[in-house]
Amino acid sequence: MKSEWTLAELAEDVGLPARTIRYYIARGLLDGPEVAGRGAVYSNRHVERLKEIRKLQREGRMLAEIAQASHRPVELPEPEAWWRYSLADGVVVELRGDLAPWRVKRIRKALSEAMTHLKEEDTDGNMRV
Amino acid sequence: MATCGFEVRSAEQGRELKLAMQRLWLTGQVMPVGARLLVRHVFCNGEEQALEAVYSFMLPRDAALRRFEVEGEGFEAHSELRRVEEAVKVYEEGIEAGHLATLARAYRDGVVNLTLGNLRKGEQVTVTLEVLAGVELHDDGLRFRFPFALAPGYHPKARAAGGEIELPEQEFGDVILPKYMREADGLHDVGFDLALRIPGAVAEIGSPSHAVRVREENGARRVTLAPAADLPNRDVVIDVKFAEPTTQILGGAKRFAMAVPSTRFGQSASGRRKVAMVIDRSGSMRGQPMTQAVRAVEACLGALSKDDEFALVAFDDRIEMFRDMLVPATSESRDAARSFLQGIGARGGTELARGFSAGARLAAGGDVLVITDGQVMGTEEILAKARALNVRIHCLGIGSASQDRFLALLASATGGVSRFVTPQERVDVTAVDLFASIGRPVAVDVRASGAKFETQPPAAVFAGTPWVAFGSASGPAAVRVEWNSGNFTEAIPTDQPEAAETLRLLDGARQIADLESRMTPGAEKEIEPKLVEISETFGLASRAMALVAVVKRAGDQAGAPPVTRIVPVGMPQGTQFESYFRPAARMAMSDSIAPAGVRYALASVVRREVPARPPDDTDRLLEIAANVAPDGGVAGSDIEDRTLKTVSALLLFLAEGHTTTEGAFRLHVERMVRFLESLSGLSRAHEEIIGRVVAFARAGRKPGRRTLRSWKDIENAVA
Repeated sequence: MKSEWTLAELAEDVGLPARTIRYYIARGLLDGPEVAGRGAVYSNRHVERLKEIRKLQREGRMLAEIAQASHRPVELPEPEAWWRYSLADGVVVELRGDLAPWRVKRIRKALSEAMTHLKEEDTDGNMRV
Repeated sequence: MATCGFEVRSAEQGRELKLAMQRLWLTGQVMPVGARLLVRHVFCNGEEQALEAVYSFMLPRDAALRRFEVEGEGFEAHSELRRVEEAVKVYEEGIEAGHLATLARAYRDGVVNLTLGNLRKGEQVTVTLEVLAGVELHDDGLRFRFPFALAPGYHPKARAAGGEIELPEQEFGDVILPKYMREADGLHDVGFDLALRIPGAVAEIGSPSHAVRVREENGARRVTLAPAADLPNRDVVIDVKFAEPTTQILGGAKRFAMAVPSTRFGQSASGRRKVAMVIDRSGSMRGQPMTQAVRAVEACLGALSKDDEFALVAFDDRIEMFRDMLVPATSESRDAARSFLQGIGARGGTELARGFSAGARLAAGGDVLVITDGQVMGTEEILAKARALNVRIHCLGIGSASQDRFLALLASATGGVSRFVTPQERVDVTAVDLFASIGRPVAVDVRASGAKFETQPPAAVFAGTPWVAFGSASGPAAVRVEWNSGNFTEAIPTDQPEAAETLRLLDGARQIADLESRMTPGAEKEIEPKLVEISETFGLASRAMALVAVVKRAGDQAGAPPVTRIVPVGMPQGTQFESYFRPAARMAMSDSIAPAGVRYALASVVRREVPARPPDDTDRLLEIAANVAPDGGVAGSDIEDRTLKTVSALLLFLAEGHTTTEGAFRLHVERMVRFLESLSGLSRAHEEIIGRVVAFARAGRKPGRRTLRSWKDIENAVA
């Protein structure tokens, strides 16, 4: 299945002049090419978006409306797991859950030392490392 | 001020407005049979990235693009004429390779997109476009009009909001219309410096649209914009009044054009008239144009005799008729018609074809006078409907941004005549003038021989509008013109070889404009081959052939695609932004556009009310004209009172320069004279005075202005 389009190919496939596609990009209706320069390419994302724009136009929407509506909230990213260590009263350290085991081991060692220090000196809390 | 003259200006919203096009300058020469123009567009990129600028403009009447020249630092290139699809391909390949590419392409309704791509940061490029255009020619002068603005137009399927209009792609292709700004302040500068090449003597040169300076230079008169620059919110209109109506012939090197005043063919024959007056009551006519249109129709009614028949139609997106048939122009029907006119107010959209079709149905075989601003899109379909009707359509256009091309085509397609006035002018007087020239033509079956005529010259001549013919002859020629009641022969001069090429191009532009006006959606395929043939023959662009140039600059390389910028224009002077466009801020996906809502948005155009002005002499003439009874006399208590009033009115018209053959009120003057000629039963002394008044009027003499209270005063006035 095709995954990359030049502007000329994109124009031909969706039945829109290249100038119109550039106009849509300038108006914020469509993202720019994936790669700029001589090898500027467009992806399936652009094909789908152009089809969507045409559909909305057929339904009576103006370009300005479509552009305004496309500024929708950013989709939620995938959740990330974090480990939480309470080192002392008011002191918390968080580690991302997918760190490499060798790294976690070294950090845990460092944290352990830090905890020892904190207990000895009984420093002020409300510190977040 | 940044480099290359780039300037960041403040737009109406207080935001910075970066202009991709800085200046538009019009030069060239205007002749009685057309104009050869150079339009200079100065583009400049003040942004960080490469730009693609799109400037949209409307072609004038009978116009076509010939070529363009692109100039920048260290380069100069000329356009090539190619089939549209080839030209677009060349342009796109140039853009992709990072070169400077320029494309001039015509769309429906005479709208042109001039696109300049890959304008580098800080770069200034000038595109000089050569345009051939027609002029509005009258017996006694000409009007030249060039669009510096593009009026928003009504189309039932158009969508409009936030200063933007979008047309359905299936019917209008990828045309880009400009963004409309509330005010033109801060947009690109416009100006002009035109040479007038008029063979005969000229009495007056002026402009109802701009302050101008007129000077003599190398045997030509030059008309220049008086201030350094102006705003792009109205057309430039130049009027030339000839010293007297004369036959004007330009010729040289096998080509010629001739304009023969209608008076050379004869005077308008009297006869029964069947005329439907059709008034555009769309929202865009609101204010002074509507008031003036109604007054004009009232005055036109005064020009009808009881043997004439008339109909009145008011249209927007609905039709309203005074009566659903032609009625005799009796006093009673005229009074009733006046009441009907008083009830007309401006409101909806401009469904022009429905308006004149209703008029045509009523006045089949006769004449239709349409008073409109003509602000419509999709004009080819309207023209197709007009051509199918058995009437002559005469157009009076009103507006500061031109639909002159369309209305001129509408009139010529049906054998009628057209005039276009600015809102600052007297619409009413122009309407009366136009009305006087419609009805029976002064000559029919006009045929020309002795030379080759690629486009058949008009077969009918109407009072006030010259007969114009373009032709070619291999050597010295004499053109013989014959019509139903006369003939003449004119030798064709060959002493202007420099004019020959211009005349050839003007002829081509007229042929292209006519053919393009027949390209309705669906008929393109059929007409395109012929259009390509004419384009190639004359070397002129058309809807089938575009102009393209690609400049390979040092250091050009493919990069990110240029960012498109649409060159904005100001709303045409006298029209209100809100009436066309909903505020953009109110748009949201949940706010769906129902077609009816859009129609309303486009339709309810409101002109700014022009402050009422005190009545002047012209208002008095109009009022009297509206009161000329069906028998040609002015209303009064008895025959003596009517006679005295008619003579007083007649002398007032004569004093203002309106005779039986000249001036806007010539038809009224003729009818008043006939009324006086028809009087009987007067005393011998009064009969003698009336005889002198009639002779005075028939001789076209001008009395001094004085108050007339008695027969003695009248006798002195015509002594």
